[in-house]
Amino acid sequence: MGAGTQGFCALGARARLKDMLVTDTPATAVDATLRALLADVLGLGEARAAALTADSGLFGELPEFDSMAVATVLTEMEDRLGILIDDDEVDGEIFETYGNLLAFSVRKVAG
Amino acid sequence: MGEYQLRIDPAGLPRATILFVPPLFEEANRTRRTLVLAMRALAAEGFAALLPDLPGQNESPVPLVEADLTRWRDALAEIAHGIDGPLIVASLRGGALIDHAAKAATWWRLAPASGASLLRTLLRARVSADREAGIASSLDSLQTEAASAPLLLAGNLLSPTMIAELAAAEAQPVEPLRSVALGAEGIAGTPLWLRAEPGEDTGMAQAIAADIAAWSRSCGII
Repeated sequence: MGAGTQGFCALGARARLKDMLVTDTPATAVDATLRALLADVLGLGEARAAALTADSGLFGELPEFDSMAVATVLTEMEDRLGILIDDDEVDGEIFETYGNLLAFSVRKVAG
Repeated sequence: MGEYQLRIDPAGLPRATILFVPPLFEEANRTRRTLVLAMRALAAEGFAALLPDLPGQNESPVPLVEADLTRWRDALAEIAHGIDGPLIVASLRGGALIDHAAKAATWWRLAPASGASLLRTLLRARVSADREAGIASSLDSLQTEAASAPLLLAGNLLSPTMIAELAAAEAQPVEPLRSVALGAEGIAGTPLWLRAEPGEDTGMAQAIAADIAAWSRSCGII
Protein backbone atom coordinates (compact mmCIF):
# COMPACT_ATOMS: atom_id res chain seq x y z
CA MET A 1 0.00 0.00 0.00
CA GLY A 2 2.67 2.49 0.94
CA ALA A 3 0.46 5.32 2.19
CA GLY A 4 1.95 6.76 5.35
CA THR A 5 5.09 4.67 5.12
CA GLN A 6 7.98 7.10 5.05
CA GLY A 7 9.86 7.13 1.78
CA PHE A 8 7.94 4.15 0.49
CA CYS A 9 7.47 4.37 -3.25
CA ALA A 10 7.00 8.15 -3.16
CA LEU A 11 7.82 9.55 -6.57
CA GLY A 12 6.05 12.26 -8.54
CA ALA A 13 2.66 11.82 -10.16
CA ARG A 14 2.25 10.95 -13.81
CA ALA A 15 2.37 13.59 -16.51
CA ARG A 16 -0.33 13.98 -19.13
CA LEU A 17 0.63 15.40 -22.50
CA LYS A 18 -2.98 16.04 -23.45
CA ASP A 19 -3.36 18.64 -20.70
CA MET A 20 -1.18 21.06 -22.67
CA LEU A 21 -3.87 21.58 -25.27
CA VAL A 22 -6.43 23.33 -23.12
CA THR A 23 -5.21 26.92 -23.29
CA ASP A 24 -4.59 27.23 -27.05
CA THR A 25 -7.24 27.98 -29.65
CA PRO A 26 -8.56 24.74 -31.14
CA ALA A 27 -6.99 25.16 -34.59
CA THR A 28 -3.55 26.10 -33.23
CA ALA A 29 -3.64 23.26 -30.73
CA VAL A 30 -4.70 20.76 -33.38
CA ASP A 31 -1.94 22.01 -35.69
CA ALA A 32 0.71 21.62 -32.97
CA THR A 33 -0.59 18.19 -31.98
CA LEU A 34 -0.63 17.02 -35.58
CA ARG A 35 2.92 18.20 -36.32
CA ALA A 36 4.23 16.51 -33.17
CA LEU A 37 2.36 13.35 -34.07
CA LEU A 38 3.78 13.20 -37.61
CA ALA A 39 7.25 13.88 -36.24
CA ASP A 40 6.80 10.98 -33.79
CA VAL A 41 5.44 8.47 -36.28
CA LEU A 42 7.53 9.38 -39.32
CA GLY A 43 10.67 10.32 -37.43
CA LEU A 44 10.69 13.69 -39.20
CA GLY A 45 12.54 15.66 -36.55
CA GLU A 46 11.29 18.98 -35.27
CA ALA A 47 12.65 21.07 -38.17
CA ARG A 48 11.00 19.00 -40.92
CA ALA A 49 7.73 18.82 -38.97
CA ALA A 50 7.72 22.60 -38.43
CA ALA A 51 8.42 23.18 -42.14
CA LEU A 52 5.25 21.35 -43.27
CA THR A 53 2.89 23.68 -45.14
CA ALA A 54 -0.72 23.20 -46.22
CA ASP A 55 0.57 22.04 -49.63
CA SER A 56 3.15 19.57 -48.31
CA GLY A 57 2.44 16.12 -49.70
CA LEU A 58 2.11 13.21 -47.25
CA PHE A 59 1.06 9.74 -48.45
CA GLY A 60 2.93 8.88 -51.62
CA GLU A 61 5.33 11.76 -51.14
CA LEU A 62 7.03 11.05 -47.83
CA PRO A 63 8.78 7.66 -48.17
CA GLU A 64 8.18 6.88 -44.47
CA PHE A 65 4.41 7.19 -44.90
CA ASP A 66 3.40 3.58 -45.65
CA SER A 67 0.14 1.80 -44.80
CA MET A 68 1.34 0.87 -41.30
CA ALA A 69 2.22 4.54 -40.70
CA VAL A 70 -1.23 5.60 -41.89
CA ALA A 71 -2.78 3.17 -39.39
CA THR A 72 -0.56 4.45 -36.57
CA VAL A 73 -1.32 8.09 -37.41
CA LEU A 74 -5.08 7.46 -37.34
CA THR A 75 -5.01 5.73 -33.94
CA GLU A 76 -2.72 8.41 -32.48
CA MET A 77 -5.02 11.13 -33.84
CA GLU A 78 -7.90 9.47 -31.99
CA ASP A 79 -5.91 9.22 -28.74
CA ARG A 80 -4.32 12.68 -28.80
CA LEU A 81 -7.23 14.68 -30.22
CA GLY A 82 -9.93 12.75 -28.37
CA ILE A 83 -11.87 11.91 -31.55
CA LEU A 84 -13.19 8.74 -33.22
CA ILE A 85 -12.51 8.16 -36.90
CA ASP A 86 -14.73 5.84 -38.96
CA ASP A 87 -13.47 3.77 -41.89
CA ASP A 88 -15.64 5.58 -44.39
CA GLU A 89 -14.20 8.95 -43.38
CA VAL A 90 -10.74 7.79 -44.40
CA ASP A 91 -10.11 8.25 -48.08
CA GLY A 92 -6.92 8.95 -49.99
CA GLU A 93 -7.69 12.65 -49.94
CA ILE A 94 -7.13 13.36 -46.25
CA PHE A 95 -3.55 12.08 -46.47
CA GLU A 96 -2.79 13.84 -49.72
CA THR A 97 -1.48 17.03 -48.12
CA TYR A 98 -0.82 18.34 -44.65
CA GLY A 99 -3.50 21.00 -45.22
CA ASN A 100 -6.13 18.32 -45.91
CA LEU A 101 -5.18 16.37 -42.81
CA LEU A 102 -5.29 19.51 -40.66
CA ALA A 103 -8.67 20.59 -42.04
CA PHE A 104 -10.08 17.10 -41.41
CA SER A 105 -8.73 17.08 -37.85
CA VAL A 106 -10.03 20.56 -36.99
CA ARG A 107 -13.45 19.54 -38.33
CA LYS A 108 -13.46 16.35 -36.24
CA VAL A 109 -12.38 18.13 -33.06
CA ALA A 110 -15.10 20.74 -33.54
CA GLY A 111 -17.52 17.78 -33.74
CA MET B 1 9.70 -23.97 -21.66
CA GLY B 2 12.10 -23.38 -24.53
CA GLU B 3 11.85 -19.59 -24.66
CA TYR B 4 14.99 -17.48 -24.77
CA GLN B 5 15.51 -14.54 -22.52
CA LEU B 6 18.09 -11.82 -22.66
CA ARG B 7 19.70 -11.33 -19.27
CA ILE B 8 22.28 -8.68 -18.37
CA ASP B 9 23.92 -9.17 -14.99
CA PRO B 10 25.76 -6.59 -12.89
CA ALA B 11 29.36 -7.13 -11.79
CA GLY B 12 28.49 -8.35 -8.28
CA LEU B 13 25.36 -9.75 -6.67
CA PRO B 14 22.29 -8.00 -8.10
CA ARG B 15 20.45 -5.62 -5.73
CA ALA B 16 17.22 -6.50 -7.50
CA THR B 17 16.03 -7.93 -10.79
CA ILE B 18 14.17 -5.83 -13.36
CA LEU B 19 11.87 -7.97 -15.47
CA PHE B 20 11.09 -6.05 -18.65
CA VAL B 21 7.81 -6.76 -20.40
CA PRO B 22 8.27 -5.52 -23.97
CA PRO B 23 5.63 -3.82 -26.11
CA LEU B 24 3.61 -6.20 -28.30
CA PHE B 25 4.03 -7.15 -31.96
CA GLU B 26 5.95 -4.72 -34.20
CA GLU B 27 6.29 -2.20 -31.36
CA ALA B 28 8.64 -4.67 -29.65
CA ASN B 29 11.08 -4.54 -32.56
CA ARG B 30 10.98 -0.77 -32.73
CA THR B 31 11.90 -0.39 -29.06
CA ARG B 32 14.16 -3.39 -28.45
CA ARG B 33 17.47 -1.68 -29.07
CA THR B 34 16.71 1.24 -26.75
CA LEU B 35 15.33 -1.16 -24.13
CA VAL B 36 18.54 -3.16 -24.19
CA LEU B 37 20.55 0.06 -23.78
CA ALA B 38 18.44 0.77 -20.67
CA MET B 39 19.15 -2.77 -19.42
CA ARG B 40 22.90 -2.20 -19.77
CA ALA B 41 22.60 1.07 -17.86
CA LEU B 42 20.67 -0.70 -15.08
CA ALA B 43 23.29 -3.46 -14.88
CA ALA B 44 25.91 -0.75 -14.41
CA GLU B 45 23.84 0.43 -11.41
CA GLY B 46 23.86 -3.03 -9.86
CA PHE B 47 20.56 -4.44 -11.17
CA ALA B 48 20.05 -7.66 -13.08
CA ALA B 49 17.90 -6.94 -16.13
CA LEU B 50 15.83 -9.56 -17.89
CA LEU B 51 14.00 -9.33 -21.23
CA PRO B 52 12.11 -12.55 -21.97
CA ASP B 53 10.69 -13.65 -25.31
CA LEU B 54 6.93 -14.00 -25.02
CA PRO B 55 5.58 -17.22 -26.62
CA GLY B 56 5.08 -16.45 -30.31
CA GLN B 57 7.25 -13.30 -30.27
CA ASN B 58 10.87 -12.63 -31.23
CA GLU B 59 12.84 -15.95 -31.31
CA SER B 60 10.04 -18.06 -29.79
CA PRO B 61 9.51 -21.59 -31.15
CA VAL B 62 5.75 -21.16 -30.58
CA PRO B 63 3.69 -20.05 -33.60
CA LEU B 64 2.11 -16.67 -32.83
CA VAL B 65 -1.36 -17.98 -33.71
CA GLU B 66 -1.14 -20.26 -30.63
CA ALA B 67 -0.49 -17.33 -28.29
CA ASP B 68 -2.97 -15.08 -26.53
CA LEU B 69 -2.86 -12.54 -23.71
CA THR B 70 -3.72 -15.16 -21.05
CA ARG B 71 -0.81 -17.33 -22.16
CA TRP B 72 1.55 -14.33 -22.11
CA ARG B 73 0.34 -13.27 -18.67
CA ASP B 74 0.88 -16.81 -17.34
CA ALA B 75 4.32 -17.10 -18.95
CA LEU B 76 5.41 -13.88 -17.22
CA ALA B 77 4.02 -15.09 -13.88
CA GLU B 78 6.08 -18.26 -14.26
CA ILE B 79 9.26 -16.34 -15.11
CA ALA B 80 8.70 -14.04 -12.11
CA HIS B 81 8.19 -17.07 -9.88
CA GLY B 82 11.63 -18.39 -10.79
CA ILE B 83 13.48 -15.19 -9.85
CA ASP B 84 15.28 -14.94 -6.49
CA GLY B 85 15.45 -11.67 -4.58
CA PRO B 86 13.46 -8.46 -5.02
CA LEU B 87 11.71 -8.19 -8.38
CA ILE B 88 10.59 -5.08 -10.22
CA VAL B 89 8.35 -5.56 -13.24
CA ALA B 90 8.88 -2.85 -15.87
CA SER B 91 6.51 -2.85 -18.83
CA LEU B 92 6.12 -0.71 -21.92
CA ARG B 93 2.96 0.00 -23.93
CA GLY B 94 1.01 -3.26 -24.47
CA GLY B 95 3.31 -5.02 -22.03
CA ALA B 96 1.27 -3.34 -19.29
CA LEU B 97 -1.72 -5.49 -20.34
CA ILE B 98 -0.03 -8.72 -19.24
CA ASP B 99 2.24 -7.74 -16.32
CA HIS B 100 -0.15 -8.02 -13.36
CA ALA B 101 0.04 -11.77 -12.63
CA ALA B 102 3.82 -11.66 -12.15
CA LYS B 103 4.41 -11.41 -8.41
CA ALA B 104 6.69 -8.43 -7.86
CA ALA B 105 7.81 -6.04 -5.13
CA THR B 106 6.72 -3.16 -7.35
CA TRP B 107 5.65 -2.29 -10.89
CA TRP B 108 6.77 0.38 -13.35
CA ARG B 109 4.92 1.19 -16.58
CA LEU B 110 5.90 3.43 -19.49
CA ALA B 111 3.17 4.80 -21.77
CA PRO B 112 0.71 1.94 -21.16
CA ALA B 113 -1.57 1.32 -24.16
CA SER B 114 -5.06 -0.15 -24.23
CA GLY B 115 -5.54 -3.39 -26.14
CA ALA B 116 -8.32 -1.78 -28.16
CA SER B 117 -6.03 0.94 -29.48
CA LEU B 118 -3.28 -1.56 -30.40
CA LEU B 119 -5.86 -3.74 -32.16
CA ARG B 120 -7.33 -0.77 -34.04
CA THR B 121 -3.93 0.11 -35.47
CA LEU B 122 -3.34 -3.50 -36.58
CA LEU B 123 -6.79 -3.72 -38.16
CA ARG B 124 -6.31 -0.38 -39.91
CA ALA B 125 -2.97 -1.44 -41.36
CA ARG B 126 -4.79 -4.45 -42.86
CA VAL B 127 -7.65 -2.28 -44.20
CA SER B 128 -5.11 0.10 -45.71
CA ALA B 129 -3.08 -2.72 -47.30
CA ASP B 130 -6.30 -4.36 -48.57
CA ARG B 131 -7.36 -1.10 -50.16
CA GLU B 132 -4.05 -0.80 -52.01
CA ALA B 133 -4.60 -4.37 -53.26
CA GLY B 134 -8.11 -3.45 -54.45
CA ILE B 135 -9.89 -5.47 -51.72
CA ALA B 136 -12.70 -3.80 -49.77
CA SER B 137 -12.49 -4.50 -46.03
CA SER B 138 -13.35 -2.52 -42.91
CA LEU B 139 -12.65 -2.64 -39.20
CA ASP B 140 -16.10 -4.18 -38.72
CA SER B 141 -15.83 -6.80 -41.46
CA LEU B 142 -12.39 -7.88 -40.19
CA GLN B 143 -13.60 -8.15 -36.61
CA THR B 144 -16.54 -10.30 -37.72
CA GLU B 145 -14.14 -12.50 -39.66
CA ALA B 146 -11.88 -12.73 -36.60
CA ALA B 147 -14.64 -14.19 -34.44
CA SER B 148 -14.33 -17.57 -36.17
CA ALA B 149 -10.90 -17.74 -37.84
CA PRO B 150 -7.36 -16.45 -37.31
CA LEU B 151 -6.64 -13.12 -38.95
CA LEU B 152 -3.40 -11.92 -40.53
CA LEU B 153 -2.81 -8.35 -39.33
CA ALA B 154 0.33 -6.50 -40.43
CA GLY B 155 2.22 -9.80 -40.62
CA ASN B 156 0.84 -11.17 -37.33
CA LEU B 157 -1.44 -14.24 -37.55
CA LEU B 158 -3.70 -13.77 -34.51
CA SER B 159 -6.20 -16.27 -33.10
CA PRO B 160 -9.85 -15.37 -32.40
CA THR B 161 -9.04 -15.58 -28.66
CA MET B 162 -6.10 -13.19 -29.00
CA ILE B 163 -8.20 -10.68 -30.95
CA ALA B 164 -11.11 -10.88 -28.50
CA GLU B 165 -8.76 -10.48 -25.54
CA LEU B 166 -6.98 -7.53 -27.15
CA ALA B 167 -10.27 -5.77 -27.88
CA ALA B 168 -11.13 -5.80 -24.17
CA ALA B 169 -7.71 -5.55 -22.51
CA GLU B 170 -6.85 -2.67 -20.18
CA ALA B 171 -3.84 -2.40 -17.86
CA GLN B 172 -4.90 -3.88 -14.53
CA PRO B 173 -4.41 -2.12 -11.21
CA VAL B 174 -1.27 -3.23 -9.35
CA GLU B 175 0.41 -1.76 -6.32
CA PRO B 176 2.81 -0.13 -5.78
CA LEU B 177 2.89 1.23 -9.31
CA ARG B 178 4.68 4.08 -11.02
CA SER B 179 3.10 4.83 -14.38
CA VAL B 180 5.01 7.34 -16.51
CA ALA B 181 4.34 8.99 -19.83
CA LEU B 182 6.81 10.51 -22.24
CA GLY B 183 7.43 14.22 -21.74
CA ALA B 184 8.97 16.82 -19.50
CA GLU B 185 7.43 15.39 -16.32
CA GLY B 186 7.95 11.77 -17.27
CA ILE B 187 10.59 10.19 -19.46
CA ALA B 188 12.27 12.58 -21.88
CA GLY B 189 12.41 10.82 -25.21
CA THR B 190 10.69 9.86 -28.43
CA PRO B 191 7.85 7.33 -28.86
CA LEU B 192 10.02 4.90 -30.82
CA TRP B 193 7.21 2.33 -30.72
CA LEU B 194 5.23 4.46 -33.19
CA ARG B 195 8.11 5.00 -35.57
CA ALA B 196 7.68 3.82 -39.14
CA GLU B 197 11.42 3.19 -39.40
CA PRO B 198 13.66 1.80 -36.64
CA GLY B 199 15.55 4.26 -34.49
CA GLU B 200 17.29 4.43 -31.15
CA ASP B 201 17.33 6.97 -28.36
CA THR B 202 20.30 6.78 -26.02
CA GLY B 203 19.04 9.61 -23.85
CA MET B 204 15.70 7.89 -23.37
CA ALA B 205 17.45 4.64 -22.43
CA GLN B 206 19.40 6.52 -19.72
CA ALA B 207 16.20 8.23 -18.53
CA ILE B 208 14.35 4.89 -18.31
CA ALA B 209 17.18 3.34 -16.29
CA ALA B 210 17.45 6.35 -13.95
CA ASP B 211 13.68 6.48 -13.38
CA ILE B 212 13.44 2.76 -12.58
CA ALA B 213 16.44 2.98 -10.24
CA ALA B 214 14.91 5.99 -8.43
CA TRP B 215 11.55 4.25 -8.17
CA SER B 216 13.23 1.13 -6.82
CA ARG B 217 15.02 3.19 -4.15
CA SER B 218 11.82 4.97 -3.18
CA CYS B 219 10.24 1.55 -2.67
CA GLY B 220 12.99 0.68 -0.22
CA ILE B 221 14.79 -1.66 -2.60
CA ILE B 222 18.40 -0.65 -2.10
